[in-house]
Amino acid sequence: MIHDLEIEIDPSVELNSSSLIPTNVTPIAIDTIETTAIPIRLQAFDVKTVGFQFPRSGGGIKVFRGANQANAPISQPGDHNAKTTEERSRELIEKSRAAATRARQSIRTGKLTRIKPPADVVKLEDRLFYLLQPPLELLVGSEQLDFPFEPFPYQLDGIAFLFPRYAAVLADEMGLGKTMQAISTVRLLLCSGEVRSVLLICPKPLVTNWMREFSVWAPEIPVAPIEGNSPTRQWQWTSPDIAVKIANYELLMRDRDSVLDQDQHFDLVVLDEAQRIKNQKNATSAIVREISRTRSWALTGTPVENSPEDLVGIFEFLSPGYLRSDMPVATIAKATRDHMLRRTKDMVLQDMPPKLYRDADLELTPEQRLTYEKAETEGVVQLENLDSQLTIQHVFELVLRLKQICNFDPATGSSAKLERLVADMEEVAASGQKAIVFSQWVKSIDAMRPALERFGPLEYHGRVPQKQRDGVIEQFKSDPSKHVILMSYGAGSVGLNLQFCRYVFLFDRWWNPAVEDQAINRAHRIGVAGSVTVTRMLMQNTIEQRIAAVLEQKREMFDELFSESKLPGSASLSREEIFGLFNLRSPKGRIAG
Amino acid sequence: MSRSPEAEVTIGFYTVEESEFTGWTGGLLVLSSSGRPLEFQCTLPVRPTRTHEILYGPTLRDYLIGEAIGPMLLKRCRNAPSLLCCNQPEALQLESISEAPVALVSEAAEQEEGPITDEMLPGYERCELAGSTLRVAIERYEIVRDIVSKLPSLPDMLEPFDRIKEAISEAQKQISRARAA
Repeated sequence: MIHDLEIEIDPSVELNSSSLIPTNVTPIAIDTIETTAIPIRLQAFDVKTVGFQFPRSGGGIKVFRGANQANAPISQPGDHNAKTTEERSRELIEKSRAAATRARQSIRTGKLTRIKPPADVVKLEDRLFYLLQPPLELLVGSEQLDFPFEPFPYQLDGIAFLFPRYAAVLADEMGLGKTMQAISTVRLLLCSGEVRSVLLICPKPLVTNWMREFSVWAPEIPVAPIEGNSPTRQWQWTSPDIAVKIANYELLMRDRDSVLDQDQHFDLVVLDEAQRIKNQKNATSAIVREISRTRSWALTGTPVENSPEDLVGIFEFLSPGYLRSDMPVATIAKATRDHMLRRTKDMVLQDMPPKLYRDADLELTPEQRLTYEKAETEGVVQLENLDSQLTIQHVFELVLRLKQICNFDPATGSSAKLERLVADMEEVAASGQKAIVFSQWVKSIDAMRPALERFGPLEYHGRVPQKQRDGVIEQFKSDPSKHVILMSYGAGSVGLNLQFCRYVFLFDRWWNPAVEDQAINRAHRIGVAGSVTVTRMLMQNTIEQRIAAVLEQKREMFDELFSESKLPGSASLSREEIFGLFNLRSPKGRIAG
Repeated sequence: MSRSPEAEVTIGFYTVEESEFTGWTGGLLVLSSSGRPLEFQCTLPVRPTRTHEILYGPTLRDYLIGEAIGPMLLKRCRNAPSLLCCNQPEALQLESISEAPVALVSEAAEQEEGPITDEMLPGYERCELAGSTLRVAIERYEIVRDIVSKLPSLPDMLEPFDRIKEAISEAQKQISRARAA
């Protein structure tokens, strides 16, 4: 049953319209508020842009097994050392990751080497191309710039200097790595597609050195020397597969027609020892200036900035008409400032060790090679024929004879080492520095003297009477025209201080590394005042190379075992090792000594 | 804007520089997977008027970076980046118009913004590339991870922003010289 709902409203909580209006107020009438709209002209943002596209890299070089890779082992099926494509790819990725991590550390902690556009690059697009390149530290260790050794910061600066320049002089003091800087920059330019063809011109004794340096610093680049008979050279000059061609100055006259052919053009021509072309009138300079090219670089160890005439000569190659010989020196200095880079060891001393080794690996001259091979073949036969009467003395005699041929060909006097020494001494003398040349034979010292005459050679060895020796040292120290002293290891190794010498040449090497070290330390005690560059001369594919390899192995082993101590006397070759230099055989088998 | 070949991964870096004297200048740098420059686009300086400053108020920066400058640079860019990285949170708005995912490089952004936390960017995931942390929208996370896996040799994510600053500075110098002449 539904009942009606009864509702009562409590008046005390009732809400009605009167309870919504406060009781103690009085309404006031006011005018309606009128609003006005004020139009504001707001300009839209007009965003204008400017943009540039840059060439993609990697189009410049075809990588193939060129002359400098001819001896690399070819992997065969079943070769356990061969890597699959996948393994190689994984290896490359790991390498890239490691390089990227190193680069990041470099960014966080140190200075970055950025490529800066030179002053003569004015177009914005070109300037931005250089500014927007990654810093070199990011490229080092990557697949684009994988170095076998860590470059010094000043060397990265040198690469950054060369990379954007169409005309450049790299005039670093000898021993600072001009070769490495030039090669690394060539590599970057080839990789980025900015250059496709490079011609490098150098003195003949240095061709082999450049080939070797390319195989160390840029092994993937096809490099070949222009050499051989005329038809061969003609083919080499025109071959499009060789990205970097190396020619010597002497060759330019003979191959003038090929070099200056109207279809011949090089994106980059590099002159090594560029002071050779400072004389504008000579025929070689004339040919070099006529080579059709886009970029021109000059490498020299001489302080060319001190010689305005030399600079004018070099700049006639880099940028004809840019300098004139009648310009004031200050004008020349200002005009060349952006195109030249010279560092001395003192300037970059904090970047490098005080003793800098430079191994000059040389090839025998043709005359030397003929004599050497005949002597070695006949000598080995004689040793084998001695059979049981063979003693270590016999082997020593052969070794010494061969080493002497490595210095000078006895018949003709031809010497690859001397050619190199003379070339280096030109730079040493031009820089106002002094050098010591060590040899174990006074006969070799006699033979090298005439070629070194213009450097004011002094001698210090067994044939110089004792009472004259002090005078020789004093003269060497004080006479500015004396740039070189020729010493034998015995006489010059002990008790001398030659603290003013910055260069040491080991014309031939001693058996015992400790004796070599002592010889070097006549000059290197100096290390406090400045660094010393030690050039060790070694003939490739000879007994010298085999001896050096054994000594190096022993040195590494001793370093590992005795890290703090000096090398003991037995660091020189043992009896077995000396016999082992020739792989002697008798009817009874191998002769081991 | 052309597409890069599918096999080639490219990476874009976008930033806007503000200067009291010149105004707001944006730069977009597109790099190859090895860090080489492929394209650079930059704006002429954009100068907001006093009216703009008053009316836009605190939203002016957002508007300029995310709606005025960024879209114009992307429109002009001929080499489409596979991934667009920025160092300013305001640029994340470009996600709505960009075909490529947009990522904020935390370490680069922190130089101006201070620490970037997850709470500041809800709906964003973290991803590592070249030692830096990228903040990407959740829905783009898988795509970005795939792109990152194709960039093993990219060394650094902060340094390209410095290159853009240098390039903008160079461009402004040239423009000033041209005007003075």
